Amino acid sequence: MTTYLNKLWGGARLAALEQLTYRFNLFSDVAIQPLIVAAVELTLWLAFFQSTGRSELAGFSQDHYLAYAIWAAFVARISANWMYEWNMIDSVETGAVNAVLVRPISFYSFWLGQFLGYKLLTSSFSLAVPLLVCWAMKLPVQIERLPLALLLVVFYLIFVHTIAVIMASMAFFFNRVHHVTVAKNITLWMLGGEFFPLDILPENLREFMIALPFSSAVFRPVGYLTGRLTTEQLGEGFVSIAIGQVILGSLAFVLWRAGRRRYSGTGA
Amino acid sequence: MSNPATDTLTHRWSTRVVHEVRDLAKHFALVGAFARVSLMSELEYRFNFAVRIFTDVIWYMAQLSVFEVLFRHTDSLSGWTLETMRVFMGVLFLTDSIYMMLFSENLDRLSDRIRRGDLDLLLVKPVSSQWMLSFQKISVAYFGNFIISAVWLGWSLMQVPGFDWWRLLWLLICVPCGVIVVYAIRFSTASTALYFTKADAINYIWYQLYRLGTRPDTVYPKFLRYAVLSVLPIAFLASVPAQVILNRTGSEMVLWGIALAAMMLAVSSFIWKTGLKRYASASS
Repeated sequence: MTTYLNKLWGGARLAALEQLTYRFNLFSDVAIQPLIVAAVELTLWLAFFQSTGRSELAGFSQDHYLAYAIWAAFVARISANWMYEWNMIDSVETGAVNAVLVRPISFYSFWLGQFLGYKLLTSSFSLAVPLLVCWAMKLPVQIERLPLALLLVVFYLIFVHTIAVIMASMAFFFNRVHHVTVAKNITLWMLGGEFFPLDILPENLREFMIALPFSSAVFRPVGYLTGRLTTEQLGEGFVSIAIGQVILGSLAFVLWRAGRRRYSGTGA
Repeated sequence: MSNPATDTLTHRWSTRVVHEVRDLAKHFALVGAFARVSLMSELEYRFNFAVRIFTDVIWYMAQLSVFEVLFRHTDSLSGWTLETMRVFMGVLFLTDSIYMMLFSENLDRLSDRIRRGDLDLLLVKPVSSQWMLSFQKISVAYFGNFIISAVWLGWSLMQVPGFDWWRLLWLLICVPCGVIVVYAIRFSTASTALYFTKADAINYIWYQLYRLGTRPDTVYPKFLRYAVLSVLPIAFLASVPAQVILNRTGSEMVLWGIALAAMMLAVSSFIWKTGLKRYASASS
């Protein structure tokens, strides 16, 4: 176990060093981009409350929605996986995966270590921004709930990584899986609840969307942090991800093995 | 009696005009050739056609879902009703599909090509390098998105009571202006790779700024509204064209759009030409 964790830690350090090479890019990634997203979403919610003259929506005030918009922009960036999924697919397509296959670590763990390391680095910087903004704007955030909310995000990252392995395994069988990955990520983006809290959806759709593990990308952790959800509802997120992980983990395992059998070692 | 000096000037001027027209025709013929090659190349991967359209349909649904959900809780948002907001989204999808078809792939790769020093072959060709780089790959697959967007726009306009269909003609001016404005901003940001070693961050910021154009300008506070209508005229992507066809703004906004498109194009050309002087071939 310790050896395995050391390997993961090695991957995490590698990712952190890579990211720190271009610090302005890192700064843009962790602060500037999510700030712009948050600003665009804030204006929409402000316009909504000003136009309607309402003081609340679905039982929550304007400030609750502003806090949600700010946190959602940052948490959504943490819980998304674009770069490493593309790298994984590329490695299968080009044959660069050979370098991983000969190492004493699985493909899954090699990339998981890097992915988590990258997310650890970016989130440790970027989470300071919504904290400061919410503090300055006096928005309702239950800060004591942050550790549990972040734990759910970490749990979700492992789940998202499993999906990325499925996509990379598909590269053994199909050309240009990148386009499918874009479609998949936009779908997850929509299901995650970055645009709006999922509990303002029509009732039948709301229950279905929240029950999916993808709601743990944004809605569950941010909803919990901003007081929309109870600890029990957050716990349901862990269960939902665990079920998803078992199903998709099995699929990833089968696809990877089948892909390896087809693979000639010179790129897919 | 004719004046020899005037005759020479007229001759020179007419020769110059003929030359410019031929040059322009050559450039447009080049776009046609690029489109044919791109079509052949894309037909090799037909699955991509379907996937790209599918991807964008999901993106459209994501954008629509925001307003469809909000309008379940209100009848009006900064002066827009659900029906007019659907028109706005239709114009957004239409303009976006044209931009994606013509420029997206070319400009997304531009920074990398500059950094890798891939421009050499292009710079020695007897055509504008900006033109070549901008049109080299026409993403024919997005024509499917154009059709879907046009159908959505038509349907949403049918929901607007008393809509004057003749006003659709304004789109013939407004949409090209919007595409040019977006193109010019994107080209300028991508060209910063000529000045900086790694311009990825600026490129990513562009994607976020683009989001400003995916909402009507009336939802923004005053200062931001001025910005998206002037300094960073991303409102011309969809907000202004939609307001023009819905008769919510005057023709002066159309004129402003034309002037802005011309200015932005000139600025992008200036940034490119100035940056090229720094281009060191091996990598910038």
